[in-house]
Amino acid sequence: MSPLLSAYEAIAGSSALTQLRRLGEKLAGLRVVHVNSTREGGGVAEILEWMVPLMRDVGVDASWEVIHGTPRFFEITKAIHNGLQGKAVDLPKKDWRIYQDVNEENAQRLRPLLEEADIVIIHDPQPAHLLKLCPNRKGKWIWRAHIDISRPFRPVWKVLRTIVDKYDASIFSMTEFAQPLPHPQFLVPPSIDPLSEKNRELGPEEIAGARTEFGIDPERPLLVQVSRFDRFKDPIGVIQASRLVRKVIPVQLVLAGGGATDDPEGKAVLEDVMEAAEGAPDIHVLLLPSGAHTTINALQRMADIVLQKSTREGFGLTVTEGLWKGKPVIGGDVGGIRLQVVNYHTGFLVNTPEGAAHRIRYLLRHHDRAAEMGRIGREFVRENFLLTRHLRDYLTLILAIRSGREERVVFV
Amino acid sequence: MNPFEVKDCALLIRMSGLPPAVNLRELRERIAACGENVLYHHFCETTLRPTFDDPDYRNDFAVWSKLYLGDRVLAERLGILDPYASDSMEELRAAVLDIIDDRLAELTMVPWVRPGDEFLFKEATTVVFDTGERIHHPRDLAPAIGRMTNGSVYYHFLEALRRPPIGKDDFSAWLLEGGEEYASYLVSLGSIDIQFHSLAHLRKELVAALAQAGVGK
Repeated sequence: MSPLLSAYEAIAGSSALTQLRRLGEKLAGLRVVHVNSTREGGGVAEILEWMVPLMRDVGVDASWEVIHGTPRFFEITKAIHNGLQGKAVDLPKKDWRIYQDVNEENAQRLRPLLEEADIVIIHDPQPAHLLKLCPNRKGKWIWRAHIDISRPFRPVWKVLRTIVDKYDASIFSMTEFAQPLPHPQFLVPPSIDPLSEKNRELGPEEIAGARTEFGIDPERPLLVQVSRFDRFKDPIGVIQASRLVRKVIPVQLVLAGGGATDDPEGKAVLEDVMEAAEGAPDIHVLLLPSGAHTTINALQRMADIVLQKSTREGFGLTVTEGLWKGKPVIGGDVGGIRLQVVNYHTGFLVNTPEGAAHRIRYLLRHHDRAAEMGRIGREFVRENFLLTRHLRDYLTLILAIRSGREERVVFV
Repeated sequence: MNPFEVKDCALLIRMSGLPPAVNLRELRERIAACGENVLYHHFCETTLRPTFDDPDYRNDFAVWSKLYLGDRVLAERLGILDPYASDSMEELRAAVLDIIDDRLAELTMVPWVRPGDEFLFKEATTVVFDTGERIHHPRDLAPAIGRMTNGSVYYHFLEALRRPPIGKDDFSAWLLEGGEEYASYLVSLGSIDIQFHSLAHLRKELVAALAQAGVGK
């Protein structure tokens, strides 16, 4: 067995690894290229960081390419991103022209590789236009949408649809995120890497170190939300919830997030968050560098409750991370959070700061229930949302697309 | 008896291509027109999907009727349908349509759902893996089932019902090769009511049933 994969046997089980080995035998030597828009920051880069090496480990010739863009390009793709998630945005034709031009510049560099690949997986809208710029492509192209486009701002979707409908298949994280397209649409929830810096077990001294570094009082309860400073993550709502709870329980709050190179809006949101937290010494707003995985791990592990009070969400990997660390999670009643958080089982779904405050108070007053939710949540993640399942889905999907048949049963 | 070959399986789920249903009449139209695999997915493959807790009902149509249409009467009528009791998917389809038609005739307005709560039709490919494990004697069956993944339990005990010999799970089909000696085990397996079990629970039931019949001794 390959050394990288075998490290997961104790956590995911030998059967999961057997499946991957069998699929790897079927796909040995296949050239698979992933393309996205950032090497670090955000869930997609985190997924590709482990997926590409593991694909190689099972025998697939996998690689990862990142498109380069100007600040203006990333402002436009952020607007596209927001539009796909339902926000009314103004995207005139000249902006779409810039989007196409930057894709064209990247195509000059990537075209030989992409046209020769057996499978090209394009992640999210930023590099989606590359398909049209690779007319001599030999392999199958798959568009992987990581975001919730269930109710997009129609003018944005109408343009993007003309780009992505040429793909051979698409992948969505949840049923509800899919849009009608003239090709097979597969459903693959994302996952976490239990051995990564962000999720590995930490020693007590590592957690204590982070507690000291950020001035967290070990005697008082701690709420933690880790996410980009993005309005859809509702950091202001989290601050409002913690202020409501503080009237009865001396709770501490950590809002920790990093910037990503493709997210220019983050700075403005961070300024609003700092203003909302002003005068509250128990609210810690942390802008972390992109490599601060161990710090995030420690913060989640020292939390009494993990929050992800999003108003729109793709899958919500920070929820998965919180559950994996045995924490009850209070999450927004949206997107992939609904897949993971079940009231009274793994945490609570909420719609308002008031709702979040109510559930925080409940969990802080019912320690046994909170501990039981954490235990159930960890097993739920082990069964459904570890990277071994995610990799299996991708390999299976590639096998299915290459066969070109939509069979009910496939033997591997 | 030939050794029992233990398989494992997983679902690769995709959208069916059918438009979403926003009310009960549209649900009826889509069910009437959908492929058998769509029907099979929403009735039988629900146990293998990443869902957290056991819903009140094992098929998606009943769950949707209850949670989103708010029609508990319809949910109860659909929820009792046992897909494995039907001789074919077409027979099951006819039963579902009959229940919906009856309900539509009873109602003064067609129940509908809010945007975002539509019924979305899916189907799946079952990907089957050979685990390499072989069971050589029926006495080893119960402990082997106890170690099986949810995918193995699903494939051998539920998915098998749709494969020839139709209506027979793989464990029973294998025990039948041993003749009368294992008749009591077959009776035990046949007594399990699969309608209400999660796969983890079903695994425990299988082990207990076989142990009771003497196979596990």
